Amino acid sequence: MMLFLARRTAALVAAVLLASFAVFLIPYVTPGDPVRKIIRSRVSGDMVDGSAVESLSLQLGLQDPLWTQYLRWLGQLIRGDMGLSYTSRTPVVEQVLPALWITLSLVVMTLAAAAMVSVVLGVTAALTEGRAADKAITALNQAFIAMPEYWLAPMLVLVFAIQLSVLPSAGWEGPTSAVLPVAVLALRPTSHFTSAVRDGMLEALAADHVVAARARGLSRFDTVRKHVIPNGLLPLTTLVAVWFAGLLGGSVIIEVIFAIPGMGRLLFDGVLNSDIPLAQGAVVLVVGLAVVLTTAADLVHGLLNPQVRMRHA
Amino acid sequence: MRKLTRAVGRLPVHLRIATAVLALIVLSVALGAWIAPYPPAEQDLVSRLAPPGASHWLGTDHLGRDTLSRLLDGGRFSLTIAALATVLTAAIGTAIGVLSARRRGWLDEFFTRTSDVLLAMPEMVIALFLVAALGAGYPSLLLALTVTGWTPFARLARALAYDVSARGFMDAARVLGCPPWFIVLRHILPHLAGPLLGQATLRFGQFLISVGALSYLGLGVQPPQSDWGSMLAAAQPYAVRSPMTMLAPGLVIFVVALCVTLLGQHLARMSGSTLLLAASVPTAAAGHG
Repeated sequence: MMLFLARRTAALVAAVLLASFAVFLIPYVTPGDPVRKIIRSRVSGDMVDGSAVESLSLQLGLQDPLWTQYLRWLGQLIRGDMGLSYTSRTPVVEQVLPALWITLSLVVMTLAAAAMVSVVLGVTAALTEGRAADKAITALNQAFIAMPEYWLAPMLVLVFAIQLSVLPSAGWEGPTSAVLPVAVLALRPTSHFTSAVRDGMLEALAADHVVAARARGLSRFDTVRKHVIPNGLLPLTTLVAVWFAGLLGGSVIIEVIFAIPGMGRLLFDGVLNSDIPLAQGAVVLVVGLAVVLTTAADLVHGLLNPQVRMRHA
Repeated sequence: MRKLTRAVGRLPVHLRIATAVLALIVLSVALGAWIAPYPPAEQDLVSRLAPPGASHWLGTDHLGRDTLSRLLDGGRFSLTIAALATVLTAAIGTAIGVLSARRRGWLDEFFTRTSDVLLAMPEMVIALFLVAALGAGYPSLLLALTVTGWTPFARLARALAYDVSARGFMDAARVLGCPPWFIVLRHILPHLAGPLLGQATLRFGQFLISVGALSYLGLGVQPPQSDWGSMLAAAQPYAVRSPMTMLAPGLVIFVVALCVTLLGQHLARMSGSTLLLAASVPTAAAGHG
């Protein structure tokens, strides 16, 4: 177990360091003078003249070797200093944290919706295996996977916001504004969860102790409730964790379409406006969080299931 | 060719329809330059946002350009990039997977960890990062899809190659003194072909959606060229007046992705690999979205 833990943590640290180094390099590899770009993210005043650039670049240590600069940048990052946004001229942290909160709530709502719907669909499909309901659910699942969100979302807006005017078309105010984004974002996870629940249920239904329970005279309903569902739903727990990380970045397009001021939107704006500090902050936060969450899910999975530890240790 | 028609003939009805629809779309896109009713960029400002009719089967966009002709033209980019990404990631992933399974040890450990980490990285964030670093366009798009896209193939190939390695004929081949490249080509790859084909088919559909997503956001194909995703984005402001202009490109993406998904799942089932479904990992949302 200790070895498993140590390896996972080492991989996590290596990944975060590598990703942060790649992000650190953005001002150096993009067109333009890196020194001026970095000064602009550190000094709030207007653009300065040549001599000031000289002294500021010395003062900020921009003449140091690259790895010294990286370590300094990493130190600032860990202390929560991500520099100043080019567009708003305010610290990036102050923009990123509220946005992260919004994206997290969007993702949690989406996963909750997807999990609830998929339990109903998956259990129904498994109990009606091979019959019409099962086939219909399978077909629905395939349609969900093949659905481009950037097509469905504007069409739903057209119908529900413009034609029927029952839901807002954009923004993030009040519970109604979450309905459409959550519905669209939930399609893919729902599809994936449903097939996992269906498979898990089928496997659990075929288990010996289930057959034994039926043979002892337990009703089908009670057998399913007590013996099948608890085992059949187990795979869902890991999947939810995997998708949590995935949706953190996967919500970019939904946030852009519905003008939700979350991390994805911020990241997109940062890239579109060449706002390097903003883009850097957003990427580091999303990637870091995604990697940490996935590793945490892995570790919990390993704790619960010794087989996983053995296989991957 | 005979073999292919016979294989298609054996499919269940809905898969035969999927194959036919897919073939029709791919063929019309390939022949687009010859069969399109209008040049894709030809503007007809008098009939802007025209509804579908006899002269414009799918109507026109906000500049009076024929939607059908633009679909045929834009499809070339969408389909080519998705196909290119599929081939690239399949080749890289298979090579890494087989190498991991053959060498084992630290190399295997390294690639497994790398793919674990990459799986956690949202494709869209990687794409945005690459656009920030390298600028928008074809190369960033392809790179973004490839950087994260090889991992499902590597996992599948590795798992299958591990399985094959335990079989008796592998020992026989080693004892007979077959060189490693021969064992890989003759004994391992043929066992991987079926499941990998299924995986590649499924991934093509997801790549198509991802390409559309990135172009929709303006990060993919750059004007004046357009693809299905950028057409969709351009039509959106006029959706109330002319829903068809927005409906059509998205519908094509959806139909192609759906047909490909159906066929891919069938191939996966036929190759008898339960590993495939276990190894196929959420993307796109993840992904591409």
